[in-house]
Amino acid sequence: MPDLDDLAASADPAAADGGVGIVVPRDFVYDKPFAFKSGQTLPRFTLRYETYGELNITRDNAILICHALSGDHHCAGRHKPDDRKPGWWDNLIGPGKAVDTNRFFVICTNCLGGCSGSTGPSSINPETGRSYGINFPFVTIHDMVRAQKLLMDHLGVHALHAVIGGSMGGMQAMLWSILYPSFVRRLLAMATTAREGAQAIAFNEVGRQAIMQDPAWSQGNYPADGGPRVGLAIARMMAHITYLSDASMDRKFGRRRRADAANGDAYNFDIQFEVESYLRYQGQSFINRFDANSYLYITRALDQFDLAYAYGSLEAAFAPVQAETLVVGFTSDWLFPPEQNRDIALALLRAGKRASYAELATDLGHDSFLLESEDLYALIRGFLERSQENVVDFSI
Amino acid sequence: MSQTVEKRTVDMEIIGEWVEPGTHVLDLGCGRGTLLTYLTQTKQIKGIGVDLDFHKISECVQHGVTAYQGDMLSFTRAFADNHFDRVICSRTVQELSDPTEVILEALRVSRAVTVGFVNHGFWKNRLDTLIRGRKTRNAVYTTEWFESRPSNPVTIADFEHFCSVKGIRISRRVHLLGDWKTHCPFLPNLFAGYALYELTK
Repeated sequence: MPDLDDLAASADPAAADGGVGIVVPRDFVYDKPFAFKSGQTLPRFTLRYETYGELNITRDNAILICHALSGDHHCAGRHKPDDRKPGWWDNLIGPGKAVDTNRFFVICTNCLGGCSGSTGPSSINPETGRSYGINFPFVTIHDMVRAQKLLMDHLGVHALHAVIGGSMGGMQAMLWSILYPSFVRRLLAMATTAREGAQAIAFNEVGRQAIMQDPAWSQGNYPADGGPRVGLAIARMMAHITYLSDASMDRKFGRRRRADAANGDAYNFDIQFEVESYLRYQGQSFINRFDANSYLYITRALDQFDLAYAYGSLEAAFAPVQAETLVVGFTSDWLFPPEQNRDIALALLRAGKRASYAELATDLGHDSFLLESEDLYALIRGFLERSQENVVDFSI
Repeated sequence: MSQTVEKRTVDMEIIGEWVEPGTHVLDLGCGRGTLLTYLTQTKQIKGIGVDLDFHKISECVQHGVTAYQGDMLSFTRAFADNHFDRVICSRTVQELSDPTEVILEALRVSRAVTVGFVNHGFWKNRLDTLIRGRKTRNAVYTTEWFESRPSNPVTIADFEHFCSVKGIRISRRVHLLGDWKTHCPFLPNLFAGYALYELTK
């Protein structure tokens, strides 16, 4: 069990920008065989993670943040002072923020099967000396959560004050409270689903096909510096559209043309519209940070996640849950729409659990959960910080 | 302490008297969760509120009240018969577009339904309309017509008629005078300012 001071050293409290400051990612190596739900095993695995804030004496102020498909362990602070952007949820997590690192010890891991430092298809298989590629065990949300639990045990965390996740992170958060009910006190699931609909699976399949039809994929056996860059970029461009909304794209780009595009009608296929340029940029920046095989594995894990199927019904799935739950849906999310978020809260209530549902009116689509919104911050802070013994004086 | 707050508290006390300790209570139109917080403290109920407004739900969550943002009917339809012990509609019925459907649904998902409403047949309200010829305004309904939500004002006579037409059993009724404290001894539709009903199947 690591020393408390050792954990605190991971984040610099004297951050100049009001955030968690400079953070150093760490690696947790689980040096024993790990059996996946598929029955396949790994001799050992690594999870890369970051922590912010300090674990308290009773070791129960920890909050686990679970990332979405293309996210990673770096959700707050900066790695270097001149980093262009902070971690992906820096607006939510930090000293005095909605997830207050002055009160909570916040942990975020890159998921198992990922490609930002945790063991995944791009990791070297010790048996062959080459990357696993598609010989990597099939990963499920279940496996990701079990691996995270091993890290919690390693960190000496006795209970999670909360598990928080949006999209795929919400799936992990739900499964956390099902698999380790007495460990999880609060469950905050946002823009998520207990099972993807046909449309979400269809989009993931198009992404996978774009990758697998790229000759450079070569059955998953591509060199570390190569691979299906075209296929992966197309997969990302298309997926990115599903994270936005008609209204938000129209506001951001409309039909605006690139400054360097020809005036009037251009009879060629060069970039003309800003939105084209933006998507190409999204695709290009993605291929520099994401592994195509990881994309295949994780989208498959998303598609296979189905709590109702796995447990017989959604109510049966939630039967063991002890956590108090808050589900948040977003009106313009058409990937994991409000109805699918409501279904989670309603099933928890039918199972006799404490579950609230709030719905934020936004036009930013699926990515709304990352929104900079005082309303969202107040809701999350209220859920995390209120004491159990909140007594109001009704005497007059 | 303003008159409105005092009235709200009297209302809560009577509603609370009818709630059995430790039961499962659904509050339709829960607002900021004041009633559910009161019932949790005084009756140790397990409560859930439903409201349409994000900020109200957010306040409920802050106060530890379990709450669901959404439409009442789509909420109740997600539950089996008698899932709750009691449903409370406190000052909600006059704002429903389909009061019959909501009350029948409330009866289906619970064993008892508490309905509390301001009696628009109260003589002051009648006089107000007769003399001023304007939308009723009083300590409870403070807003001008143009600042008000659509509402479907109800009187005690209307509600009694509704229950008899729909074959709904009234197991308890309390009519309070204009001070919302003293029991109304006679002619409630004229002299009661506030009415509380308990409906059972």
